Amino acid sequence: MKKKNNVLKMILLILITCIYLIPIVMMVLGSLKPKEEAIRFDLSLPSVIEWSNYTYVLEKGHVLTGYFNSFIMTAAATVLVLLFGALAGIYVGRSRGRVSTAIYNYFILGLTVSFQIATTFALLKFLNLYGSRVGVVLIYAAIQLPFTVMTFSSFIKGVPREIDEAAMIDGCGPLRLIFLIIMPIMKPIMITNLIVTAIQTWNNFMIPLFYLDSSEKWTIPLMVYNFFGQYSRNWNYVFAMLVITILPVIILYLCLQKYIVEGMTSGAVKG
Amino acid sequence: MIKKKHGGYPFWLSIPAIAVYSVFVIIPIVMSLVLAFTDWNVNRWTSPSFAGLTSFIEILKDPVFMKSLFNNFLYAIATTVLKVVFGLALALALVKPFKGNTIFRTIFYLPCVLSMTVIGVLFTAILAKNGLLNNLLEMLHLTSFQREWLGQYGTAMTWIILIESWMWAGFNMFVFISGLQAIPRDYYEAASTEGASRIKQFTSITLPLIMPAITVNVTLNVAGGMKVFDIIYVLTNGGPGTDTQVLSTYGFKAFSLGYLGESSAASIILTILVIIVSFALNGFFRKREVEL
Repeated sequence: MKKKNNVLKMILLILITCIYLIPIVMMVLGSLKPKEEAIRFDLSLPSVIEWSNYTYVLEKGHVLTGYFNSFIMTAAATVLVLLFGALAGIYVGRSRGRVSTAIYNYFILGLTVSFQIATTFALLKFLNLYGSRVGVVLIYAAIQLPFTVMTFSSFIKGVPREIDEAAMIDGCGPLRLIFLIIMPIMKPIMITNLIVTAIQTWNNFMIPLFYLDSSEKWTIPLMVYNFFGQYSRNWNYVFAMLVITILPVIILYLCLQKYIVEGMTSGAVKG
Repeated sequence: MIKKKHGGYPFWLSIPAIAVYSVFVIIPIVMSLVLAFTDWNVNRWTSPSFAGLTSFIEILKDPVFMKSLFNNFLYAIATTVLKVVFGLALALALVKPFKGNTIFRTIFYLPCVLSMTVIGVLFTAILAKNGLLNNLLEMLHLTSFQREWLGQYGTAMTWIILIESWMWAGFNMFVFISGLQAIPRDYYEAASTEGASRIKQFTSITLPLIMPAITVNVTLNVAGGMKVFDIIYVLTNGGPGTDTQVLSTYGFKAFSLGYLGESSAASIILTILVIIVSFALNGFFRKREVEL
């Protein structure tokens, strides 16, 4: 009976796996087919392998520009979020009193609010940041900070206060204490926040769509969307573009999956 | 004395975070709260004047807005139910280690790290008139089931909901797995020696003890579902017509047309709805959690 159940379970799991893998198989096969075959949208093997789809996309798709923009904006936002979030999280988690509770609640509010398209646009115009990478990076950082402050402050509550006190008695100032002693202890929560921020920022579509007007500054998700709009009859190219954009993400995911999964779920549970 | 109270850390440490967050999250909300009550638009860009509830009345009279509101709730509720049910089913199937277990987990989580744009474009190829799905139906001689899937409201909305659930079921699964792993084994052993059936064990041990995981998943899914934008924008752009609009796409459309006051009013309504729903859900589920 038990054995029969297990076989049934395996069959079901394999069927579900197919649902997850079929879109990806179709994409990879399609990216290697000539135009007329790719547009048939099936799971057949390509009659000839067209590597030229990839060279065409690399030339015309502005992939490298997209990667460059995504990379610098994600890196900048992540550094800002980790540094500012950690400092604020340490203060909020360690201090008792009305001020720190108020700050904590102020940040928690940010977890529920939704994005204000029109007024953020006006604000960026006013600050002369509309259409600039800096503006987009600051928005990325701002929307991620509530989560970071919350997770850092709840993590530091589990770190014994005696460590701080011992260092302070030895004459260690707050900044040295934070960077030399507290930050190394907070490595696990650092990794969690690094992963969550980097993935969310990398995949963000709305902010660059709303506030970056020139294609030279577009990130990968926007490049893909725009390429799809332009080449919607050449699915061989569209599929190749999709493969090129998700391949690095999949490789990183497979290498770091333990950290990614733990990071993203533990972050959620602690929240 | 003061030093002790603040744990030795000075207040200014939190200033950079407060500054960035205040300027780019809080100020736009405050501005929306004010400007939604004016006649702010592209022509009155710098000189909005007070107009009371005009923007709100204007959008509440708009049938597209009401439809968006309906779609928003439909989407949030349906995707939450599907993600929680499938996430829990997958977690129960994969919580105990067996050969191949981690491969399944890896695959089911994979869509969570991909960008919605990529998923959206990929599913356009599946759901197109000559797309993969219709081809598979033809192969199975089920031609009568072939549809232009994104061309009608019912099927388009159904597929949008299914794709979102497909994407995030794996995330829910991992939250449930960590909840299930925290339940001590002897509970089940005690229950089976007392002769409790598998179903009984599930309803009286598993479900109550994974309530915290259910709270997390439901709250995150509903709040995320209310804020949906990417998938609608990429797959249907609110179409056919305006049938699959939601509040975010409605706000964006109003913004692109220059109706800034209406766009702000829509954003404010969405924000207030998300806050109310999140707090209500959190309170509802927290009451049902039991201590281990």
